[in-house]
Amino acid sequence: MKITDLHDLPKLRDGLGYLYVERAHIEQKSLGVVLDYPDTEVPIPSASLAALLLGPGTTISHAAVRALADNGCSIIWCGEGAVRVYAQGVGETRKGHRLLRQAELVCNPDMRAQVVMRMYRMRFEKKLPEDLTIEQVRGMEGVRVREAYAQAAKRTGIIWTGRAYRPGDWNAADPVNRALSAANSCLYGVCHAAIVSAGYSTGLGFVHTGKQLSFVYDIADLYKVETTIPVAFECAANPGPELERRVRTTCRDVFLVQKILQRVVPDIARALAVDEPLDLPSNADPDVEAAIPGGLWDPDHETVEGGVNYGGDDSGERPREPEGGAEPVDD
Amino acid sequence: MVVMILENVPESLRGELSRWMIEPRAGVFVGTMNAMIRDRLWERVNKRKGVGGCMQVYSWPNEQGFIVRQEGVSSRDIADFDGLQLVRRRKTL
Repeated sequence: MKITDLHDLPKLRDGLGYLYVERAHIEQKSLGVVLDYPDTEVPIPSASLAALLLGPGTTISHAAVRALADNGCSIIWCGEGAVRVYAQGVGETRKGHRLLRQAELVCNPDMRAQVVMRMYRMRFEKKLPEDLTIEQVRGMEGVRVREAYAQAAKRTGIIWTGRAYRPGDWNAADPVNRALSAANSCLYGVCHAAIVSAGYSTGLGFVHTGKQLSFVYDIADLYKVETTIPVAFECAANPGPELERRVRTTCRDVFLVQKILQRVVPDIARALAVDEPLDLPSNADPDVEAAIPGGLWDPDHETVEGGVNYGGDDSGERPREPEGGAEPVDD
Repeated sequence: MVVMILENVPESLRGELSRWMIEPRAGVFVGTMNAMIRDRLWERVNKRKGVGGCMQVYSWPNEQGFIVRQEGVSSRDIADFDGLQLVRRRKTL
């Protein structure tokens, strides 16, 4: 069934965060989406789910992708244990206004600096002085994270020698570093899903820059000290063969207690100072019909109506030629 | 809220449960009760289920908002996906 009214879908904050699946076929069946195993099948609550994380050994049918996209469930292809993101599908919104706002803020250095400062300030409980420079606040943030590691190490009795991991050799890292990587990947997955489903770009970061997931790292950094660092240290205090799996399960509980899914979209809006709900630039609500191309940009009027031929009566595709021949070019 | 689903259990057990909960469909019971009574009913059902199966669903402040537990043989099982409880059903071939 095609979802015609997006109000039928639970808001991200009310729904389920993520579902990680490996070694399964994902099919559409009797209007639902199921994990298809040789002898059994598991229907998944696609409309309530923010993100479906597909691990190794999964295949997904075209019909299932269509059903998930219709239901606003982001699809993310990731590595084993959801520890690396390879690709993403579409999110829940068809609107572009948040993306435009994000791009505007990234491109203007003054505005970008304001967002960076706001993002740093959001991590401190006490109010920071107004006149700090980015260098100063970046230093304070470094101290804050170092203290979080030191406190977690003290509480759990783990000897902390610093964050170290080799991307090519997962098992070479010590348990706490492996646990941190697994926990951070869960957090990245959730933040990734929230960013995509709210209609932002993962690549347009403010603090981080130059990566396709820069904005994911920006947002995830707001929550690491209260979520993934304590989870990783507590799980790594008793490492076992199932360490990464225990980390993921514990992350789910901690994300719930800390209300991460409820907080992440409003927190993004707060960091970008985007007041919700935003006024749409045109009357047409692109969420109503995804196939409507929307307005056309105009330097004077911001937006003019789309789907209209501006070429005049006799035109096919091209605009009318200017009268009196081409203007001389002076440069 | 507590929901219990009983399959293939003695008739008398269903009658007994109907003293605490309503039975809107055969084998499906719905009611509201405190945690102690919920657990005591669960124990009672488990003792008396015989060859049948039972499932109990109750509200819980986790991500899904509920917990499912099951004992005995039933047509569907609960599968745990890193903390999300989903239903695993056997394919009919």
